[in-house]
Amino acid sequence: MTGEIVIDFKRSEGAVLRLIGQVERRGFEVTSMTLPHHGAGLARLTLGVEPRDASRSFETLSRHVAKIHGVTGVQAAIQATAMERAS
Amino acid sequence: MTVLATSLPHAESVPFTGAHAVVRALEAEGVEYVFGYPGGAIMPVYDALTGSSLKHVLARHEQGAALAADGYARVSGKPGVCLATSGPGATNLVTGIANAFLDSVPMVAITGQTATALMGTDAFQEIDTFGITLPIVKHSFVVRDPADIRTVFAEAFALAMAGRPGPVLIDLPKDVTQASLAIPPGFDQAGPAPRRSNTPPAAGAIFEAIKMIERAKKPLLYVGGGVGIARAEKALRDFHARTGIPAVATLKGLGAIPTGSPDYLDMLGMHGGQAANLAVQESDLLIACGARFDDRATGKLDTFAPNARIIHFDADPSEISKLRDADVSLIGEMGAILHALRPASLHIHTWRDRCAAMRQRFAPRYDAPGSGVYAPALLKALSEQAGDDFIATCDVGQHQMWVAQHCRFSRPQAHLTSGGLGTMGYGIPAGIGALFAEPDATVVTVTGDGSIMMNIQELATIVRYRLPLKIVLLDNAQLGMVRQWQELFFEENFSEIDLYDNPDFAELARAFGIEAFTVDQRRDVPAAIDRLLSAKGPILAHVRIDPRENVWPLVPPGAANSQMMEA
Repeated sequence: MTGEIVIDFKRSEGAVLRLIGQVERRGFEVTSMTLPHHGAGLARLTLGVEPRDASRSFETLSRHVAKIHGVTGVQAAIQATAMERAS
Repeated sequence: MTVLATSLPHAESVPFTGAHAVVRALEAEGVEYVFGYPGGAIMPVYDALTGSSLKHVLARHEQGAALAADGYARVSGKPGVCLATSGPGATNLVTGIANAFLDSVPMVAITGQTATALMGTDAFQEIDTFGITLPIVKHSFVVRDPADIRTVFAEAFALAMAGRPGPVLIDLPKDVTQASLAIPPGFDQAGPAPRRSNTPPAAGAIFEAIKMIERAKKPLLYVGGGVGIARAEKALRDFHARTGIPAVATLKGLGAIPTGSPDYLDMLGMHGGQAANLAVQESDLLIACGARFDDRATGKLDTFAPNARIIHFDADPSEISKLRDADVSLIGEMGAILHALRPASLHIHTWRDRCAAMRQRFAPRYDAPGSGVYAPALLKALSEQAGDDFIATCDVGQHQMWVAQHCRFSRPQAHLTSGGLGTMGYGIPAGIGALFAEPDATVVTVTGDGSIMMNIQELATIVRYRLPLKIVLLDNAQLGMVRQWQELFFEENFSEIDLYDNPDFAELARAFGIEAFTVDQRRDVPAAIDRLLSAKGPILAHVRIDPRENVWPLVPPGAANSQMMEA
């Protein structure tokens, strides 16, 4: 199972590190990343993520990310892998 | 009681600098005490401290400063402030910041930093404090413009207290604190109040929770540290008294319901009481109040409270269903939630009787054989004799668990323990902080011969500020908890636990200027307690105990809470 987490946040020193660090510490591997410039002090980070074990929940991850100071919105979408879809 | 660092008069001719802005910002936030240690990059702030209203408490190690700030915050309910220089000063704070993070303690940690032009060049005492502390703070700032200082400090204090409290770091490059600036209008006004969750919990969730409570035959309150942090113990006690629902507490939840209350069972978890653990396993509804299903409380998670539905209250939404799915979750201000929960009728007489019987059956015994000091009996008697003003600050190890199991606590702020991080060396600095927060309390640090050596230098701080801290040092000449685990789970392969070469602790305390005495016979315990409690100044009781003594009961690691081991 993989997923994508889209994080809207206020740009500030260390903000991207803080977001990626939270995702990694909570048991997810970051598999892809896009960070287009949004301007006006806001930015959107889109991370492809994969849980490191089956006990990790995307919902819990979203809540952990959402409480980071400066985060204004979080959306998470779970995608089943090809193997999971076939089974 | 205290002799604080003397403030020099403020010279009118000195220009207003970033460092002055820091000090004025702390004053504007209502800070009274700053726990710290000076050094190169933070020297401008120390220079500006003289002439301010702030009272600086000079620790003898930055870790001591951070842990004292933690103890101060837990007792006062206000953010603890600690201050250190860059490099080793900042890294020495790290354990204290992590301790505050894991136990949700409001703290503002301020560090000096190399001048901005030198940052990233491996300059003298340059370390990436911001990066090192990222995982252990609620938020952090590097101030790059002195004009931002007031705003940053206001935001930091509000953040430290908002929602689930925690530490916030402010890193101050030296050129920023040295720069001159004009005092902006409104500089001395207090910052914004911390954001509290004033949103009432959803009526539907309240209704559902009430219905679940009314239907339950074996409901149980599972009380965590969040109750004390929210200062919601009165609301909890009211709910407990209204409903008669039996209660258990986590290590951090002790005191939220007074230890001797009817329908209160005990601490649950690895070193919890048997009645508490069995009640959890039998319950059909667990009402988790500010508790986070920590592994030390739950044991093997998938066997924890196997028959129970879960109602979970917390200030932090990310705790809901993190480890155990909640059937109903109530996020917000704990007191308001508890006040709103008013079940009409409960049918739990049989369950209450069952819990009361278990509590009686598994009550601890204090009739240990022999004539040596039995630590649990000493701690129980000490806490009872000290009364409602008693505050225990613990180190980490066997003595920490004995305090939790056997002391009487009348409020959550009476038990300061490093629950999340398990920081050996916490006890004495936390005792220092507690005494600054509540000078009239009877503050007792319970420590071990391993733990005390982790921050022994803070005995000098106690003497410097004439703090009447009472220290009970339980000395088994071993790292007792490690020895216990090696005995039980490592086939008695005792590896590096022998502390036979400890110093003479009573002599050591006296060398610092602290009254001290040694006890090794049970018959001398009552007199020792009297001496401790009647001492006007700092005092250390060096108590020799049996090195073979273990902490019981014990849930083995990875086992279910029903699989408790007993002596």
